[in-house]
Amino acid sequence: MIQLENITKVYQTKVIETTALDNINIEVPEGEFLSIMGPSGCGKSTLLNIMGMIDEPTTGQVKVAGKLVGNYHSKATARFRNEQLGFIFQSFHLINELSVIDNVELPLIYRKVSGKQRRQMAEAALTQVGLSNRMKHFPSQLSGGQKQRVAIARAIVGQPRIILADEPTGNLDSAMGNEIMDILMRLNQEQGTTIVMVTHDETMARKTHRLVRLFDGQQVS
Amino acid sequence: MLSSYFKLAIKVLGRHRFFTFISLFGISFTLMILMVTTSFLETELGSHPPLTEKDRMVLLPRLIMKQMVTDTTWSVDTTMLDGQPAYDSTFTVGKKRQNSYSSSSLSYSFLDRYMRDIPGAEAHSFFCADTQFDIFINGKKLNFKALYSDATYWEIFDFNFLAGRSFQPSEVERQVQVAVLSRKAAVDYFGTTEQVVGRSIEMDGKQLEVIGIVEQPSNSKDYVTSEVYLPLTLMSGSALTETGFHGPFTAVFLAGSPEARSTIVEAIRQKADRIPLPNPEDYNKLELMPATVIGLYAYYMMPVQDDPEGALQMFTLVAVGLMLLFILLPTLNLINLNISRAMERSAEIGVRKAFGAHSGSILAQLVFENVVLTFLGGILGWLFALALIYLVNDSQVLGDTQLQFNTAVFLYSLLICLVFGILSGLLPAYRMSKLHIVNAIKFNNL
Repeated sequence: MIQLENITKVYQTKVIETTALDNINIEVPEGEFLSIMGPSGCGKSTLLNIMGMIDEPTTGQVKVAGKLVGNYHSKATARFRNEQLGFIFQSFHLINELSVIDNVELPLIYRKVSGKQRRQMAEAALTQVGLSNRMKHFPSQLSGGQKQRVAIARAIVGQPRIILADEPTGNLDSAMGNEIMDILMRLNQEQGTTIVMVTHDETMARKTHRLVRLFDGQQVS
Repeated sequence: MLSSYFKLAIKVLGRHRFFTFISLFGISFTLMILMVTTSFLETELGSHPPLTEKDRMVLLPRLIMKQMVTDTTWSVDTTMLDGQPAYDSTFTVGKKRQNSYSSSSLSYSFLDRYMRDIPGAEAHSFFCADTQFDIFINGKKLNFKALYSDATYWEIFDFNFLAGRSFQPSEVERQVQVAVLSRKAAVDYFGTTEQVVGRSIEMDGKQLEVIGIVEQPSNSKDYVTSEVYLPLTLMSGSALTETGFHGPFTAVFLAGSPEARSTIVEAIRQKADRIPLPNPEDYNKLELMPATVIGLYAYYMMPVQDDPEGALQMFTLVAVGLMLLFILLPTLNLINLNISRAMERSAEIGVRKAFGAHSGSILAQLVFENVVLTFLGGILGWLFALALIYLVNDSQVLGDTQLQFNTAVFLYSLLICLVFGILSGLLPAYRMSKLHIVNAIKFNNL
């Protein structure tokens, strides 16, 4: 489902050159739940961003859902992200001015989906994460765990084949973290969604199919 | 999609109320000024009765007499001639320059003698505006402006008659004591405009029969705005027989078409060169100042001597410059505000892009939000403008000028709103639409 070949990412300023990723080769088969671990600054999030086509590698080749990623800024890439990928961020990134259901509808706005259908799909996604009773609420009225469940609903509402989660339990206590992990595992098991998750939490990582460890931009296991 | 953008636009306005207040105030105040200015110009310069045919009119309000003298310079120098010092002198003849100058409106006899056969004019009228009279009625003093004219005046200026009629050529010729009143004068004098025709008004020691009532012109031009309109033959003293060139009269000529006005203007100027001057030792050059209605308006507004067309160019330049400045300053201010507002939303922009929005969608969203903000400002500006126009008219701060708010002005204003919204939203929106997703998401303030 995701193939990374010889990926390097170098950040260059006038005075310093930093290698964030050094010759990474990873293949994520369809239906796999993969976790990526490593200390802060080792390049985990950069790797996830490259998989999500929201950052481009300095060298190397990226293939996602059969598509060889070329122009990262094109309309076609935006449409591909919209249809194939779902993102979950550590700090939720919900739009505070919009209600829960409006937040969940967001990816569908960029598709040719009628307002009525958008609403139905958003309601279904919220039901799936157990928040059907919070649709009219605003993010400021929710707990951290509820916010992340809304973020998951937003990620799955468009029925993507891949979900990329950047430390989805990082801002939550262990009980809420487990709830979120259960939802992700259920998605993976019941719907076959491929999930790549960056985490610092060894316990959470052990629940996934496979664990990739990074250290100083290099894949160590 | 638009409903979602609209919902968000309204929510975003509530996010920073002070910013929103500053933005809305800037837009609405600017639009109010633009709307009131446009309304003022439309009222003053539009084609409304009695100036429906203003584009065919040429006015002759001034006559200028000058004494032109040649500048001469003597210079004396010393030189050596056969070894002896000698004096040499040089006499230099310079350009002609103006030595003395006299400018005023014209006498009836001048107009009668020289201005009745101007090529290109289908009709002409001579009139004397702005004579003041004090009238006493029921122990109350009224100050009325009177305008004396011939009968053709009523053919050239299409006044709206509320009742009665204008005076006829025969009435002018026979010095019949008749008067046409403005609505205001009728109300001031008789307390009503009903059944006033046929009654008499005492003015300048004469009993004048009221034969008509006209609607007050809504502009400030003294050649149509008056309280009482009288046949010019009723003028006292020697106003019609004085043989000098200067006097209290103005002439108006009606051309067959707007283009034909230039023929009249040229003919009047050429005629000035052929008119013999009464006292060449005092003044040896005569100039006449023909002007279009708009040119004359600009002439009274701008400090340009005896050149209505030059004044019109300056007036247009100043008006357009001020309008642009009025649009540009708040637009620049809004761009600044919008950039800082938009930067706060970079995380949201990043999330939208991650979920499939391309740069065009982001650009459209942010410009749309700005257009919504501008339209809200437009609605407020429209309400403020209505209130200001009401206050201006009610307080009569512009004299007889009555501002009106018409559909054309409103449509112009809507257009201005749209230009405003797009101009002030485009640059910040473009910058935000080009944000790199990863960098945008790093901002944590959604």
